[in-house]
Amino acid sequence: MKRWAVWLLAFLGLAVAQDRTQVLVYGGDWTDLITLDPQVVYEFSGVMIADNLYETLVRFEGNDLSTLRPGLAESWKVERGTSDWILTFKLRKGSRFSTGREVTAKDVVFSFERALALKGPGSFLFTEIAQLKPGATKALDPYTVEVRIPKTASPQSFLSILTFTLGGIVDSEEAQKNAKGNDYGKDFLTNNSAGSGPYRLVRWDRGNQVILEANPYARIKPKVQRVVLRYIQEPAVLRTALESGEIDIAEGLTPEGLRAIANNPRFKVVRAETLRLQYLGMNMKPGSPFANPKVREAVRYAVNQDELIQGLLQGNAVKIQTFIPKGLLGYNPIAPYTYDPARARKLLAEAGYPQGLEFELLTSTGICGGGVPCPDVAAKLQADMARAGLKARIRAIANAEVLNIYRAQNHQMVLAGWSPDFPDPDGNATPWADYGARSLAWRNSYNDEVAAKLARQAALEADPTKRKALYKVLTEKVLREGPYVVLYQPALPIGLSAKVEGFVKNPMMSVPLWQVSKQP
Amino acid sequence: MGAYILRRLFMVVFVGVGITFITFFIAQVIPIDPAAAALGENAREEQIREFRERYGLDKPLLVQYGIYLQRLLHLDLGRSLRTGRPVAEDLREFFPATLELALAAFWVAILLGIPAGVWAALRQNRVPDLLVRLMALLLGSTPVFFLAILLLDLLHRRLGVLPGPGRLDPYLIPPPPVTGMVTVDALLARDFAAFQDALAHLFLPAFVLGSASAALLARMVRAAMLEVLSQDYVRTAWAKGLSERQVVLRHALKNAALPVLTLLGGLMGGLLSGAVLTETIFSWPGLGRYVTQSATSLDFPAVMGVTLLVGVIYSLLNLVVDLLYALLDPRIRYA
Repeated sequence: MKRWAVWLLAFLGLAVAQDRTQVLVYGGDWTDLITLDPQVVYEFSGVMIADNLYETLVRFEGNDLSTLRPGLAESWKVERGTSDWILTFKLRKGSRFSTGREVTAKDVVFSFERALALKGPGSFLFTEIAQLKPGATKALDPYTVEVRIPKTASPQSFLSILTFTLGGIVDSEEAQKNAKGNDYGKDFLTNNSAGSGPYRLVRWDRGNQVILEANPYARIKPKVQRVVLRYIQEPAVLRTALESGEIDIAEGLTPEGLRAIANNPRFKVVRAETLRLQYLGMNMKPGSPFANPKVREAVRYAVNQDELIQGLLQGNAVKIQTFIPKGLLGYNPIAPYTYDPARARKLLAEAGYPQGLEFELLTSTGICGGGVPCPDVAAKLQADMARAGLKARIRAIANAEVLNIYRAQNHQMVLAGWSPDFPDPDGNATPWADYGARSLAWRNSYNDEVAAKLARQAALEADPTKRKALYKVLTEKVLREGPYVVLYQPALPIGLSAKVEGFVKNPMMSVPLWQVSKQP
Repeated sequence: MGAYILRRLFMVVFVGVGITFITFFIAQVIPIDPAAAALGENAREEQIREFRERYGLDKPLLVQYGIYLQRLLHLDLGRSLRTGRPVAEDLREFFPATLELALAAFWVAILLGIPAGVWAALRQNRVPDLLVRLMALLLGSTPVFFLAILLLDLLHRRLGVLPGPGRLDPYLIPPPPVTGMVTVDALLARDFAAFQDALAHLFLPAFVLGSASAALLARMVRAAMLEVLSQDYVRTAWAKGLSERQVVLRHALKNAALPVLTLLGGLMGGLLSGAVLTETIFSWPGLGRYVTQSATSLDFPAVMGVTLLVGVIYSLLNLVVDLLYALLDPRIRYA
């Protein structure tokens, strides 16, 4: 080729690449990204991206996590078998993978078996929550899939789990073609995609960027052809990049950065709701002062929730006292506890601590929900509680070490966070209320057979109205008797260029990128 | 000479083993469980147990170390606890960015530091000397993150003359990865727009990273030159009526090069071991960011992989410096 032709091509390449409304640049800290394989991924950024690459049988839309909508399945039904639940899914015809192949029942069977075989960090959702067994998923015909789960599992939870990337349907032929030994194509799908979602993965330069492009065969056509996810860790740089127009969306801005851009008409701020709860856990094991219900009651009156949210968190959180987060079925808005140091002091005296009570408050040195350092949250709580005679000694250590102590039941009081593993109230109810699940209730020595039974009953209840009623009873019981003080449900503020429209981050942290458009 | 090099290379192996020994046991002093760090708050007991078994964390320390060494013999650095990938693969992905930045910063250091040092020495205690010394003091003592954010804000956000963080304009199609160095890959793909853009993206981080080295280098060159300039043979050279250029380049600088060379070796080693702050601010996917991320998640196979790589780089650079000595100074011979 002649040299002038090369230059011309280089120029044309530049010109083609510069239709800026067809490229969306999303900056944030994506360092948690380690895989994009739908059956293995369990990290926030990975789940968010994989969600745009793969479709699931059923899905949630927008912020509504209580109504299931059709995905690859156009309809489904749940039946009660003699010894199990039978779920039947009718696939829609003509859905295609980015490889061009049609999505059929055998791909669904393959993907579910794949999730069980690969044993990824999220696989317990299938194996433990849904109790799904290998061989329980069958293709009745190319467009009909039948799944059987035991009677002891909740079909409602299973359907919620299916909206998660773990239930993403992969092109079985493509995965098998690229399989290494017995890995179901795991190595290949770590940095390649084979899904029917609106986008396909073009490139992932670790630590640098992830590039998605519209999947030419997708049923859902994205509004922007190309999405570039830029790794930007440093908040000051994130703000600079947003202000200079280098990126369109900035996730991870500081409260000051957000305030600055909120006052500028070129930008806007979207607050994503999360399902995370920041809470205090009190260890009720025999001999602990927190085994006494009056002491726990005193702590509930010794926390100034409003000041914490308006002051330290700058309003980036929802006030909540019950353990099912806002956004899920069963969310209970009652908040009977207000800051009342005098009452807390009285309760302490009744409990046998007229001189006050000294204890250790364990906290991570890391960042708590709402983007505030955990030691700052702990210090605020310490000051509130001190006025009620509750003298907390703060011990701030690495998060991994906090978890180790917490898991070994060796804490007195801990400042911790929790996000449900799947968008269903049972994702909180079982860990928070059922001692036998060896999760939060166990860690705090909260062994209450009534609460555990209620949680199990609610999980299996198929009627949403009855289920809601059960959760109302359970959340109120745990609120008054349990070992927790729920502090707040953080919101995640995201800065956007005013040109960007249709951006939503739902409480499960998934972002339907295909709905986003960009004005010139 | 050949035998000498072989012997030195053999020593590198021992240095490597020593490094693994020290890093391995330092990592064990930290009283934190890597399984808890990797699996997070929702992890179940079975998951934690399985994780420990999979990565051999349930075995006694010495056994773990033995397994590590055995794998190392087959050039296997083990698997990262955080990414789940072979450490060698991670290094292959993150090292090129560091190499590209380090080479660019090295040139910044040389091109700024050496002429400045020479100039200052020639005009000792006059304005140029004071200027160079002041600049060296300023650049050498300004914290990297401050300089980086200041320059980004000024040159990118306000003036718009230089691109922002990252390695390439997100609106350009990146060249296919061959070497992992975007500038080189762009050239290989004959994509000149991308090359130009990648070079522009490289400029600011290279300048920030290189300026501290340049300051150090300028001071070192100045001192070495001052010493040489007062030597008899330089006076002789002047007396012979040689031009300033000839005196400086042929007689003075060449003799001042030995101490400077040692410093250059160290600087290059430092640059190649990854610059955490520069990489973080400029979103540069290099070793520095990789190793901090790994260290905070207690991913000790990854941390050991990086320390080992950096240790080997230092040893090799030392060898190169020693060999260059012999080239520059005919009095030095290796047998």
